[in-house]
Amino acid sequence: MSELFEPKIIAFVCTYCTYAGADLAGTSRLKYAPNVRIIRLPCTGRISPMFILKALQKGADGVLVSGCHPGDCHFTHGNYHARRRWMVFRSLLDFMGIQPERVIFSWISAAEGGKFADLINTVTEDIRKLGPFDQYKELIRETEAPATL
Amino acid sequence: MITQEKYRSKAKKLLAEGSVKMVIGYSPGSTPDRRRPVFIRSFDEADQLVLDSNCIANLSGYLVSEGLLSDEKHVAIFLRPDGIRSINILAAESQLNVDQIIIFGFDTNGNEVRALTGEHAGEFSEFIGSIKEHPPEKSRDPLLYQIEQMNPQERFAFWKDEFSRCIKCYACRQACPMCYCRRCIVDSNQPQWINTSSHTLGNFEWNVVRAFHLAGRCVGCGNCDRACPVNIPLRLINSRMAEEVLDSFDHFAGLNPAQEPVLASFKKDDSETFIL
Amino acid sequence: MTRCLFSNKLENCVTLWRSAGYSVIGPVRKDATSSYAAVEHAADFDLGMVLPDRSIKELFFPQTEPMLHYTIKQQAINTEEFTPPAGKRIIFGVRPCDASGLSIDDPLFGWDYKDEYWFQRRNESVIVTIACTKADDFCLCTSLKLAPDSTNGSDILLRPLENNNGWQVEELTERGREAFSAIAELLQEASEPTAPLAVVPEMFNLDTCVAWLQNPENFESKFWKDISMRCIGCGSCTYLCPTCHCFDIQDEGDTYSGIRRKNWDSCSFALFTMHTSGHNPRSTQSARWRQRIMHKFNYFPGKFSVNSCSGCGRCTRQCPVDMGITETLQKISTLHP
Repeated sequence: MSELFEPKIIAFVCTYCTYAGADLAGTSRLKYAPNVRIIRLPCTGRISPMFILKALQKGADGVLVSGCHPGDCHFTHGNYHARRRWMVFRSLLDFMGIQPERVIFSWISAAEGGKFADLINTVTEDIRKLGPFDQYKELIRETEAPATL
Repeated sequence: MITQEKYRSKAKKLLAEGSVKMVIGYSPGSTPDRRRPVFIRSFDEADQLVLDSNCIANLSGYLVSEGLLSDEKHVAIFLRPDGIRSINILAAESQLNVDQIIIFGFDTNGNEVRALTGEHAGEFSEFIGSIKEHPPEKSRDPLLYQIEQMNPQERFAFWKDEFSRCIKCYACRQACPMCYCRRCIVDSNQPQWINTSSHTLGNFEWNVVRAFHLAGRCVGCGNCDRACPVNIPLRLINSRMAEEVLDSFDHFAGLNPAQEPVLASFKKDDSETFIL
Repeated sequence: MTRCLFSNKLENCVTLWRSAGYSVIGPVRKDATSSYAAVEHAADFDLGMVLPDRSIKELFFPQTEPMLHYTIKQQAINTEEFTPPAGKRIIFGVRPCDASGLSIDDPLFGWDYKDEYWFQRRNESVIVTIACTKADDFCLCTSLKLAPDSTNGSDILLRPLENNNGWQVEELTERGREAFSAIAELLQEASEPTAPLAVVPEMFNLDTCVAWLQNPENFESKFWKDISMRCIGCGSCTYLCPTCHCFDIQDEGDTYSGIRRKNWDSCSFALFTMHTSGHNPRSTQSARWRQRIMHKFNYFPGKFSVNSCSGCGRCTRQCPVDMGITETLQKISTLHP
């Protein structure tokens, strides 16, 4: 039997909602999968698609992006801008052959510690089922290979 | 020929009376079917201008050349409908003042060339709106259907193969009127977001970033696709993105000079079915 | 009677060469573009094209080449060098302009520091050139004092036969002789006439151009601004050029590990000469285009006694705005030196 694949997931979250939600999950002693590395940012409006590409470049198997529910943005409309951006970026990734299941978007408020724990568990399981992002890792490996011709 | 003569004499008139400092148009190229951009600054030079169905390049990118419009003088330019849309976007993104631009609008149908009515960007809005409502009978690229039929792994492999040819000459970027950044994201190295080397990962990242930055801004003029020396089908990605913004946000890039850029605006009821 | 290689034996040649340990490379058309690429069968060659879209230089000087791998652990820094791939190879069906391009760049890569990435590949490659029987509107070898049957840089020159069924074999170097001794049994003595060479009209007088370029007064000529106004500053001319050789050393990685790479660079890019301070000595596109022309026809020959252009015409052929060396030199040749 091969060992259970442990996916590496990077989460880009906004500090006012999802990060606070993650905090709540922690203080409530909720247990969730340890596969996620959280990176806190001021707002989902600050989450550039570059971050997602960088995460993949560094070997992530999946990326989670999460912030305040519409209407709750600390900066009034950062998340509305982010939503449009993701809509387009997601379809671009899909067209390029990166499964939408690998790049996930969610709204989690500061009060939704339970939703955060559940989501992390679901996302981890989903990506575990997909397996390592071998196709992308192949690209990364090729950068380390010596010249062939 | 009639259109060519019409615009030649118009160019001469405008240059003679000093109402424009330059006319940007097409002149004969190095082979009979090639046309090259030309910058006409005097009455006598205007006879170099040609206009026929080989005039396909979108010239609007020259308008944002450093210093060209900073003296607030007028410039005339030959533009097809897609070029006029480019001008609208550049204006909407505060890159130029449309009042300075005199448009010599034209469209081609087979070998026929006809002049478009209007002289300033705003006067074409209705015409561009009609293109949005009734897209030309040009069928969607069959390759797009093929790509959509593939599963993600096949699609990834398809693009990996296409991008493996990329040599990172950045001709796609330089040929694009929308790529006006003085410092492109790939040229900045603090931080270095994507690999600058032309290996498959660097090529893949570059092409994804390029496509994203053009989403909702590309007018499909085809400059990038024609410029690519290794013939990567860049038009496919751009047109897929244009479809996406049209379907999701009813956004048709370059409708008029006041149109809000699609990714710098939002509606409270934008679709969010994909957000958990 | 001369020794000939007939086309119907080409497949056997490829097999013999491969079994003699050579990898076989030649002009190939794939996915709407053409280049010199490795083949397994003679049928993979596309010998009918005027010349491949991409030049031969990438077989010797790839667009990106790893040089060393580093790791940093606490105080210890480890580096591990990449060596260029070893192995004999035969590059078949090279155009004379591409072969000349290689010999033009040899002195550059061996001038003070011997570039082992270039020379290891050079020493292990046999260049089998086929003289041109057709040309297109962009070919300009004759204007560069070269010809459709130039032998510069080649180990073997093949002259196409009139019936288009094979080639006369001209062995030029020891390396070429060795490669062709492996297929000696496939060569036949024949007295078939060779096909007429491609006619490439001379487009400008090179000496007049060089004289103009060498006059220091012309460095600031208004000509440069006018000629390059439509240049959009992409690097496709330099990247497709068989002799353009500028590169940049890039470290790709982070504090802990990474790879140092040798990447193509282009004098067309605004960033090419940008200083850390923000000052750019070549701040305009016209200065960059001037540099490209001056380098090829003034500075390079000044140092190595050979023009850095072999007349393939790719710069004009692929230019998105229809510029190129031909137009520039044609115009210069009409100016007063």
